[in-house]
Amino acid sequence: MKRRTWILSALGATGALVVGWGVMPARSRMGDPATMLPTRGDVALNGWIKIAADGSVILAMPRSEMGQGVHTGLATLVAEELDVPFSLIQLEQAGYESLYGNISMLVASLPFHPLESEGGNKPAKVRIGEWMVGKVARELGINATGGSSSLADAWDTVRMAAAAARSALLGAAAALWHVPVAELRIVDGQVRHASGRSTHFGTLAAAAVHSPAPVVLKERKDWTRIGTSPLRRDVPAKVDGSAQFGIDVRVPGMLFAAVRMCPMLGGSVAALDSQAALAMPGVRKVVPLEAVAGSTAGFAVVAQTSWHARNAALAVPVQWQQRAAGALDSDRIQEALLARLKTDPGFVFYEKGDAAVAEAGAASVLRATYSAPYLAHATLEPMNCTAQFRDGKLTVWAPTQVPGFARDVAARVAGIDAEQVTLHVTYLGGGFGRRLEVDSVAQAVQVAMACDGQPVQLLWSREEDTTHDFYRPLHVAQLSAALDAQGQASSLRIHSAGDAITPRWMARGMPALAGPVDTPDKTTAEGLFDLPYGFTHQHMAHVATRSEVPVGFWRSVGHSHNAFFSEGFVDELAHAAKTDPLEFRRALLKDAPRYLAVLNLAAEKAGWGKPLPAGHAHGVALHESFGSIVAEVAEVSLEEGKPRVHKVVCAVDCGTVINPGVVAQQMESSVVFGLSAALFGRIDIRNGEVQQTNFHNYPLLTLAQTPAVETWLLPSERPPAGVGEPGVPPVAPAVANALFVLTGKRLRALPLQV
Amino acid sequence: MQLSINGKTVEVDAAPDMPVLWMLRDLLNLTGTKYGCGMALCGACTVHLDGQPVRSCVVPVSAAQGKAIKTIESLGANGRLHALQQAWIDEQVPQCGYCQSGMLMAAAALLEHKPRPSDADIDAAMTNLCRCGSYQRVRSAIHRAALELRGGSA
Repeated sequence: MKRRTWILSALGATGALVVGWGVMPARSRMGDPATMLPTRGDVALNGWIKIAADGSVILAMPRSEMGQGVHTGLATLVAEELDVPFSLIQLEQAGYESLYGNISMLVASLPFHPLESEGGNKPAKVRIGEWMVGKVARELGINATGGSSSLADAWDTVRMAAAAARSALLGAAAALWHVPVAELRIVDGQVRHASGRSTHFGTLAAAAVHSPAPVVLKERKDWTRIGTSPLRRDVPAKVDGSAQFGIDVRVPGMLFAAVRMCPMLGGSVAALDSQAALAMPGVRKVVPLEAVAGSTAGFAVVAQTSWHARNAALAVPVQWQQRAAGALDSDRIQEALLARLKTDPGFVFYEKGDAAVAEAGAASVLRATYSAPYLAHATLEPMNCTAQFRDGKLTVWAPTQVPGFARDVAARVAGIDAEQVTLHVTYLGGGFGRRLEVDSVAQAVQVAMACDGQPVQLLWSREEDTTHDFYRPLHVAQLSAALDAQGQASSLRIHSAGDAITPRWMARGMPALAGPVDTPDKTTAEGLFDLPYGFTHQHMAHVATRSEVPVGFWRSVGHSHNAFFSEGFVDELAHAAKTDPLEFRRALLKDAPRYLAVLNLAAEKAGWGKPLPAGHAHGVALHESFGSIVAEVAEVSLEEGKPRVHKVVCAVDCGTVINPGVVAQQMESSVVFGLSAALFGRIDIRNGEVQQTNFHNYPLLTLAQTPAVETWLLPSERPPAGVGEPGVPPVAPAVANALFVLTGKRLRALPLQV
Repeated sequence: MQLSINGKTVEVDAAPDMPVLWMLRDLLNLTGTKYGCGMALCGACTVHLDGQPVRSCVVPVSAAQGKAIKTIESLGANGRLHALQQAWIDEQVPQCGYCQSGMLMAAAALLEHKPRPSDADIDAAMTNLCRCGSYQRVRSAIHRAALELRGGSA
């Protein structure tokens, strides 16, 4: 398929919405005041900002707080443009209007090479592509917290909304006091006049609605909050046990449900006997669960407490049935992917020069095969959802990254209109992409429908959570490079295969848009086709497969394994050229100065090339994802034959930094997340069953195993880019590259086995 | 049965083999204590039993009878934060926050026994799992709180 054909076919999935967009009026994302319902006498100034009677500011919050600090981040933009203290900003869960959709996340799914826009001037095809997808995204209005995109998406919109509110409030004060606006200023949420007059926003809000005024954003030099690290607003409730996660929802009369799904992915229940369970203490019901939104079928037991429910669920004798198409098996899938690479050239995401010709004429060709396993998300809060169906209306409490999808699936399952569903988004006990899925919401609603109006909290055990995830897909890649007589590489060819994620996810979340076939998926090829290195000849192709294992977005998605492939192989090329891996990369970054600066900063701060304690070695990796460039230098040794990571120095260019404290937090988080995967992470599927079940056989990094993590930021005036995920991809290759120095053995499979 | 929870005697209608975790969460609505694994592997359910940190998902209520159960809800006293809670805020430890009740209870027990913990003490005592990777800040916050509790003298 030609590239252009593909872009059009990808857009074709949303065809009905695309038709006629050219004649539609441009739709502002600031929104109409009517989008925010008044409560307690507050006044909406636009779709994002309301003013309460006491002068406090209420921000519509469409994004989910899962630890990444987004509630603080969006509030910071409002605090800046309205000059209002954080204590006067309240958050209100946003509604479902499309203005709250995440446009940046969808635009980032376009497969353009980042270097094409590096200079600041985007080529026409990039501009057109972004405009088209932006239009579609604006219409679709998918409210998702993912793709490290929240601040990038809110950057203009929320600041504009707050600046518009500021203008309107100042205009109202000017009219009230009969003074020029120029003589007014806002200090700590109070409008002040030189005469000494002063009032809070609450007294001006009603008049401000009718006081449209030009919207002027603050200049960078006038910022007092952006670029600082205010204390996160969610932290106090997270140190005294009062923060409400999904699992903490308590509704009077609530019952608890435990789930058992067919252990064989995609399988079903052939027969079950609920008699014994129903006779157990505290047990109320056994409810069959259909496979909805990508889940595997099973059943739920409803009881007085989660403990009663779980015990009874385990006591149900059940005969499971393998899926009709046969048992899934991860080893067989890996073999099939490797075989597929022999016959399928894949979709070419990037082409430069002629890599095949370069290899044909080379003194030698270096070839390597890399692989990465399935991985579970392992959010510490297992999947759960609380639901109550009463009088034709459904109330749902869900820790979700996709409130719109959650509401829609709830309505579909209940057979009611989405308007009859009230959804409360709680704090998320970790997301990492797992909560972009709504399988447990669909289950909770199925159970609630059977419970005669009583509220039910459905909770998965850790075992169900580990064995019924939407896994990071297994991937394989063959990489090759043409070397001259001195071992210098002139080409880089990457040919990879693995399951597409986005088409399956769209089909689960928006079934009406499901296409008959999968299109090539940028999210699984990202991190292979978009490298910054100046190899003369490049050919990057990906084979999108469909193995039927449920796969999903796992923190940093395709980048998470592709950076391991590409940065491992680039390290191999450095050693083939008998060049220091840092110098080798530097030489290839002449046309990518921003990447070079990030790499240099990490190397400098880590003391690259300086003596290390005996038995220690440095490894480096550089990777761009979600608009941000991260370089990491890992200091590694072997302890009792096992890798021990002592320190990881991160350098980051994530554009304008809104909160440096949160960026550092996310780098620390990413290093730990990445190390759990690099050192231990693997999900194996045998006879359809996931073999790992709990933290004893799917271990996470512990405090004692955690390296010191340092974060260094590059100053930038570019718009803000992602920070939640970009720290993950460089971790595994940096460690693997250090291990090569220590052992002389090149590790090309994850997890790293020395 | 009668149990002592956060300094109060509470009458609880629970089977003897019901884990303390579920008694707290589902019978008493003390939801600060979290479920993470059910196998004493992650520590999200850590509470104190007579001052000792235990993983309440595997401790039956029968084993807690006659002992003082203390949960995150009573870590601070008289409306004031425990030094660890303040240090958790100062160091901005939590991200998603789900593991932090257990982390704090484990850390509080550590400081009760070792007012001046070394890094090795912290490594040994803090075996709770955090998926967000807050470990580095957990370590810093424990040192900070220990210093505070000692009256600021290093």
